[in-house]
Amino acid sequence: MKSIFRFSERPNFENPSLIVGWEQDSGKLSPKVIEYLNKKFKSKSFCEIEPMDFFSLAGVVIENDVAQFPEGKFYYSQRNDLVIFKGNEPRFERYRFLNAIADLAQSYCKIKELYTISATSSPIAHTSPRRISVVFNQHQIPESLRGYGLQDMNWQGPPAISSYLLWVAKNRGIPGVSLWPEIPFYLAAGEDFQAIKLTLSFLDKKFNLGLDLAELDENIRDQNIKIDQLREEDSEINKYIGMLESELPLSEAEQVELTMKVTELLEKKG
Amino acid sequence: MGIKLYKEPELNTPIMLCGWPGIGNIGISAIDSLRGALKAQEFGEIEPLDFFEPRKVVIERGLLKDLQFPSSKFYFQRIKNQDLIFFIGQEQPTEGRTRYAEGKKAYKIANLVLDVAEKFGCRRVYTSGAAVTQIHHTVKPRVWAVPNKQSLIKEIKEYENTIVMSEIDRRSSQGTITGLNGLLLGVARKRGLEAVCLMGEIPYYLQGAPWPYPRGSKSVLEVLTKILDVEVDLSQLDELARTVEENIEEFLESLYNAEAIPPQVRDEIEKLRYARPAEPGPITEEEQKKMMEHIDELFKEGGPQDEKHL
Repeated sequence: MKSIFRFSERPNFENPSLIVGWEQDSGKLSPKVIEYLNKKFKSKSFCEIEPMDFFSLAGVVIENDVAQFPEGKFYYSQRNDLVIFKGNEPRFERYRFLNAIADLAQSYCKIKELYTISATSSPIAHTSPRRISVVFNQHQIPESLRGYGLQDMNWQGPPAISSYLLWVAKNRGIPGVSLWPEIPFYLAAGEDFQAIKLTLSFLDKKFNLGLDLAELDENIRDQNIKIDQLREEDSEINKYIGMLESELPLSEAEQVELTMKVTELLEKKG
Repeated sequence: MGIKLYKEPELNTPIMLCGWPGIGNIGISAIDSLRGALKAQEFGEIEPLDFFEPRKVVIERGLLKDLQFPSSKFYFQRIKNQDLIFFIGQEQPTEGRTRYAEGKKAYKIANLVLDVAEKFGCRRVYTSGAAVTQIHHTVKPRVWAVPNKQSLIKEIKEYENTIVMSEIDRRSSQGTITGLNGLLLGVARKRGLEAVCLMGEIPYYLQGAPWPYPRGSKSVLEVLTKILDVEVDLSQLDELARTVEENIEEFLESLYNAEAIPPQVRDEIEKLRYARPAEPGPITEEEQKKMMEHIDELFKEGGPQDEKHL
């Protein structure tokens, strides 16, 4: 049977941790975190999963004027204690795709643990501090996560791809953690720099990455200024955000209006 | 991955009864009601990973405790001198493209079910589904029966309230059974195993509705219990049928009052209330098309919203 892995290099690792991010995510959190890490460490792809069995290849999707193509790539850098995987969520054969990630990570990279990154949109204001909820797949893991201000998640419902991967890892005996930074729902279509920074800040501390995250402060400041201007110009929007700041619920119509106006504002160039 | 049997009961040329979800859940509801009434015992399953996506994750205080998949389970029971195997599939494997099973996964799961049938020496397999037709929801549904061997036609024609394809108006002796309730018949035929699909009628204006259609299930169950010579209490199905019928009446009335569907369509539905099942349909194909355009749209509008996944 033909292998679904295509290696371009065969780097060596020393008991690394795997960080998994997905191409599509609320507030672009997952791809931005992975892109930041890959840029910082000048990572290179060393292996990819062949897309044929997992995606519809009946054409290409165009996003932001550019033709896209589904991918699932493993990256390495001079930090041989880290492996990064970035991929699109498979459309078909999801179990086989996730099992392939875990298989390569376990058999070839000999990872000691796995972290997934996915955002969860939340009814909070953009001025509120973000929190990271956490899910782990082994009882003893919480010990190693103490002191980072993470919140244990409670949830029963449809599983996201990260939860599915965590379950696959659990069945293979790989310790796994899913990080779920929250983002204000009205930033879901754009970028939430504050949540991106918080996530990177956690990874920085956890893995001693030596990141300088000051550049993200500028993005946060710019975004907040834009939204502040919108609040000054539009009393309804100011009211809705004020309600969220006071932890009051918004109606569905109010949520839609807030999301539309903020998304439109942030999509404007300049 | 494949079949997992917890025990291997000794069964004497059993009959297998299979149900998967489909239109109005007529088939699965009939088969599962019978399984429940006869208190059949679970003895195996088809492992889900090759076929299904997980339905639910359970996370408690940060710990991922469980990931739940749709089940595909085998049960057995002995009644009088007759041994039975039930197969209940909570979902049809769809490969993300269609509502009903097709392609490799469907073929594979159908073969796994029949592997169990053959392992225990089954002499016949029954599946069940829905027959979408021109009847009113207050009319007792008939059961359309499709065997996979010509030699079974004579026997089937003796079942009460049951018709074969050639007895249905304007359809001659042809048609299609979508999904696994139909595919299993074909795969059984390929293996030389007798199989029959029993389909309870459902009004075509309800085929996209998100509710079960217990009237259709009851008609199927009546036929099955006669075939198996067993008596089961159908009062729960009767009660559910009454509730669903009330809901349908209320739903249609609200649509009429809101003028969501034109008076002409209302008249067309009402025409069906007084049609005898054996008569040629009182409405034309063109009228049917017009009705479906309105009603399917209404069901779509009320369909499930995007759910949060974590």
